[in-house]
Amino acid sequence: MDRQKTTGAMNEADLAQVLSQVRAGDAHAWGELYRQYAPAIFRFCRRLLPAREDAEDATTEIFMKVRQKLGTYDSSRPFTAWLYKVASNHCWDTLRRRRIRQDLETGDVEGLPLEHPDPGQLERLQSEHTSKEVRAGLAKLPDRARAALVLRYYADMSYDEIADTLGVRRAFVGVLLLRARHQLRDALGQPDATVAAKAGGGRKT
Amino acid sequence: MSTSDQSLANHFDEVTGLLYLEGQLDEDHAKVVAAHVASCAPCRQLLHALESEGVWLRESLTTDDEPIPAHLIAAPERNSTHWGWIAAFGLCAGGLYTLWNGIVEPWLASISQAGLSQQGILTWFFFQGAFWKGWDAMRSLAEFMAIATLGSLAIWLFRKQWKRFTPIAFVMGALACALALPPAAAAADVERGDPSYTLPAGHEVKNDLVVAADRTRIDGDVDGDLIVFSYSVTVNGHVKGDVLGLTDKLTLNGIVDGNVRVATDSIAINGSVGKNITAWQDQFDLDEKAKVGGSLTLLAGNADLDGQIGGDLTVLARVVDLNGLLSGSALIRSQRLVVGPQAEIQGKTKFSGWHPPEVAQGAKLSSPIDVSIKGPGPDYASGRYYWHQTLFWGASFIFGLVLLLVAPQFFFDVVQCSKRVGPALGLGTLFLLATPIAAVIVCATIVGAAVGVIAVLLWLIGVYSAQIFTASWLGEKLLGGAAGASHAIGRMALGLAIIRALTMLPYAGPIVGFCVTIWGLGAIVLTIHRRMQVHAPVAA
Repeated sequence: MDRQKTTGAMNEADLAQVLSQVRAGDAHAWGELYRQYAPAIFRFCRRLLPAREDAEDATTEIFMKVRQKLGTYDSSRPFTAWLYKVASNHCWDTLRRRRIRQDLETGDVEGLPLEHPDPGQLERLQSEHTSKEVRAGLAKLPDRARAALVLRYYADMSYDEIADTLGVRRAFVGVLLLRARHQLRDALGQPDATVAAKAGGGRKT
Repeated sequence: MSTSDQSLANHFDEVTGLLYLEGQLDEDHAKVVAAHVASCAPCRQLLHALESEGVWLRESLTTDDEPIPAHLIAAPERNSTHWGWIAAFGLCAGGLYTLWNGIVEPWLASISQAGLSQQGILTWFFFQGAFWKGWDAMRSLAEFMAIATLGSLAIWLFRKQWKRFTPIAFVMGALACALALPPAAAAADVERGDPSYTLPAGHEVKNDLVVAADRTRIDGDVDGDLIVFSYSVTVNGHVKGDVLGLTDKLTLNGIVDGNVRVATDSIAINGSVGKNITAWQDQFDLDEKAKVGGSLTLLAGNADLDGQIGGDLTVLARVVDLNGLLSGSALIRSQRLVVGPQAEIQGKTKFSGWHPPEVAQGAKLSSPIDVSIKGPGPDYASGRYYWHQTLFWGASFIFGLVLLLVAPQFFFDVVQCSKRVGPALGLGTLFLLATPIAAVIVCATIVGAAVGVIAVLLWLIGVYSAQIFTASWLGEKLLGGAAGASHAIGRMALGLAIIRALTMLPYAGPIVGFCVTIWGLGAIVLTIHRRMQVHAPVAA
């Protein structure tokens, strides 16, 4: 996915210029950078943190960090990737501090249904729920599951970045994402049904 | 294995399907999956369903649902040197100068009149006690605070380079520890009572004597200091050094060549003390035959002073009854002052209390008593009271500004934690009471003295800064939680002003002050606790 979808469009040359101006202490450029990226970061925080006030605080704090750490940003990497890394680290730290994270890595695929989901039911789930309902369902998920989905499908972070942020092994990220999808399906009131034709479908891997 | 089983075994699971779709399988594995999908309709259906679910998730998550709140539209300004900071530091300098000139210096001057130098009183309180014989080089609290502040600042500045500076940090840390740790205590005889201890007449202890016993009786001689922790202490013999102690009752019939510095319930001095007496007790009796060579500084309930005092007298007490010879000046703050017929005061006398002093006929005073009468509690009619309150508000505000500047993240975290009222109040109460007790216990181990005093200093800083965080919380409740440093400063200023006003209320004021302190202190402890957890390894 193109990260610009969430962050708005600023072409590379403009961004490089704005970043160098911000590094030089230009308040106007800082304002411009903030205007460009703050809405996306605010929505990112809204999806990750349970309370709106927390998301507002986090947005401000993330940009304070961004300004402090801008000197460490490697301009050969995409700025948005770096920005989301800072934001996700901050939000995940906030969640961890509150000790409301309950789901821990179990290390394997135990707990996942062995059967394939019913594709027809999945399609119905998608057609019957609005984006708003999906986000409401997302808010009901455990922190780690919610974070995995947001980092992957909102911030378009790589598996490596997700593993690093959430402190899990890279090989576990796929399991985490799939488990989160299952939890979201459950949260939306559509428990997985198995495909009758494939009842008892086994694993190859 | 049956044909049907083999067929089922060839389907891949959902995780593999997801990893394949997201390009996370290695090339060989991906080829196997692709080949299988080409010939397996159910798996194709599964991949299609997972793919469309992925698209659906992306669309649902990235669809704009709400605009950014108005107060987040402007970028945070904190990192530029704002004119507000320059003004704040100007105010800070002015406030400190005013505080020093208006309050601290006159107070220290009056204390030094009483025979304790400004340096002396600070060092006595913190470093000159029984456990601090090794701290003579660290002459004053101010020096220590300055060094501690510089050290903290240096650590904060170099925290990012910590790894690179690790060897230097170790060397500097070791050096600091070597400087900070008290040298080996001077030779001392340590006695534990069983349950009481008596030094018989005719016996002499050549060193300092440290005694912990139910009842302590010194009939013999002590060549050094007498350091005593005992329910009751009676000194009939001769102590050539100081008497330092924590006790319930001290009776001094013999001779002490040095100073007497004690915290106790009652003291009776019937003998002689060569130097000064500094004491904190409920009842102080100086017998008419008793002699004190130096000054007398008392924090007491009642003070009956019938003997001779060679230096100045400084007393904060309920009732002071003076009926002996005072060679120096007197600075007395008490509800009542009675000057008896045998009294002779050769210096000036300054009295501040609730009632006019009662001076008997026959009392000899070198000059009339400088009296200021002030009722119980603050003088609400006095402009000076409000000016002082404003100064106190300013001092706490400036302290809060410095905190916000030096550790903004910590500041905001503590304010967040203060929203958890129950745990904050509980932890605050615990730490308010337990920290000094723990520090005293640690100090008693001699080796842990540095740790104990540092803990007490940090505790004092925590107790003072508690109001800042409670005030910020209060400000946020009233003004809303707009982001940015300037809003945070505004919230803190308003909160501090309200808290200051509430603590000025008669009767309720101290309760408000206590609650504010434990609340803020608890929030600080909660924040530190969470930070320690964050730095702990992530559960995997």
